[in-house]
Amino acid sequence: MKPTFKQITPSLFELNWDKEVNDELLQKQLHFKELLLKDFRTKIIDIRLGFKTLSFQTSKQMDAAILTNWLRFVTEEHHLLPLSDKIWHLPVCYEKEMAADLISLTRAKNMSPEELIFLHSTARYRIHFYGFLPGFMYLNGLPEILHTPRKKSPSFYVPKGSVAIGGSQTGIYPSDSPGGWHLIGNCPSILFDAKDKNSVFAAAGDSVEFYPISTKEFQNLERHQSKPNSK
Amino acid sequence: MIRDIGYIKVIKSRLGTSIQDEGRFGLSELGVPTSGAMDDISFKFVNHLLKNKPTSAALEISSPGVKLRFESPTVICLAGALAEITLNGKSISLGIHPVSINDELEIGAFLKGSILYLGIKDGFQSGMILNSRSYFAGITTKSQVQKEDRLPYFTNQEIPNFTASHVKWNLNWAETSELEVYPGPEWELLSAETRHTLTTNMFTISIQKTRMGIMMEEPLENFISEMATAPVYPGTVQLTSGGKMFILMRDAQVTGGYPRILQLPENSISILSQKKFNEKIKFKLISI
Repeated sequence: MKPTFKQITPSLFELNWDKEVNDELLQKQLHFKELLLKDFRTKIIDIRLGFKTLSFQTSKQMDAAILTNWLRFVTEEHHLLPLSDKIWHLPVCYEKEMAADLISLTRAKNMSPEELIFLHSTARYRIHFYGFLPGFMYLNGLPEILHTPRKKSPSFYVPKGSVAIGGSQTGIYPSDSPGGWHLIGNCPSILFDAKDKNSVFAAAGDSVEFYPISTKEFQNLERHQSKPNSK
Repeated sequence: MIRDIGYIKVIKSRLGTSIQDEGRFGLSELGVPTSGAMDDISFKFVNHLLKNKPTSAALEISSPGVKLRFESPTVICLAGALAEITLNGKSISLGIHPVSINDELEIGAFLKGSILYLGIKDGFQSGMILNSRSYFAGITTKSQVQKEDRLPYFTNQEIPNFTASHVKWNLNWAETSELEVYPGPEWELLSAETRHTLTTNMFTISIQKTRMGIMMEEPLENFISEMATAPVYPGTVQLTSGGKMFILMRDAQVTGGYPRILQLPENSISILSQKKFNEKIKFKLISI
């Protein structure tokens, strides 16, 4: 199924897929992104993904008819390129001093902290795109049993590295920020480095896994901060 | 050409003072906001009058009470909000002014508009990070200009000859309460009644106005269910689940989960950024 297309302003365009969020949809989005960047390389100045959308800005006004036509003739690949098989391993300390909301969450879910940590750290998450904060990954794959509505009123301060659950998602705050998700741990890795040419360690399409570490290990890793490793 | 580094010593600063240029483009894929001058019209004007490159960085000031001392000679240009400005205690108008060693510039009350730009010959030379000097927390070392800061610029150690025409700055273009807007991607999901309200009623700028966005006072009915996180831009009008309109400005995040009901073009963003708390605006729907 091809996406629907909307021109929002003379230089802002959006493709939309009315489909379930999953790997296959992400493959399609990345496929279209590549095609757009190939066919309109000199025109596009910014391109970004949402869970079901792909939008881009052009340097000058562009006639919608050009894109409507492009979309009509663009071939929808039957064999889309597979997503990356890179898996990033992120250490997370789930100890209560770094997990302000872990206990309340386990009570609400009627499960033990061990169960919650096990579920969270054995799932594999797909990176769909970055947003919200520089280096914040939108991840898909949180086990349904851990889905939790966001806090009614957001916290004014969520510390850098916080691993949190909000709605059907889990994520890591790369910097201090306000936030409305439930904090269940902290990751000591470098998630965003503005001074590095490669500011983020991973790309859309890669996967992420979490592994539990003790407070002591956390303190060690925090002293010798590094970017995450992949397999 | 000798180009030494000169500094402005910040004697007093207020929240809402930062270095800004055109912003960061093409980095939204990393979650990095565009940033850049809130009022692009006034910002462009100072660089134009100084014969700077359009990419030159200027100082954005959004509260009175800023006092600066120039440690080396240069030429500055002021545009944007009409404010009570003094140079060494003497009142000056907006536009071009040569400054000399130890000159002191003080920004007083804002009479009209809410953002003032101080451009400087060849632009401010603070750190360029991810293709831009625009301050942003977590990207540049500073997110606000503070007391005791020293802001670098190029100087030739003498006041340059300057033959700019005396172009008179006015803010008339920002006085209209009518903002042109395009329908946003979720416009069609609004009820006919809400669409009518949006295009006929006046809306008030609330106290929540930052470089990230402006919350509007009046609530709207919101029957749109929560949506999957999607791209947003400076000028995107979000309808929050609480029924408040939040108009995203330059430091807005690159994606959001609220319905995007309207989209302001560049010109409307500049006009809006000059509006003060309690001022009223009206949306005028335009089509492409």
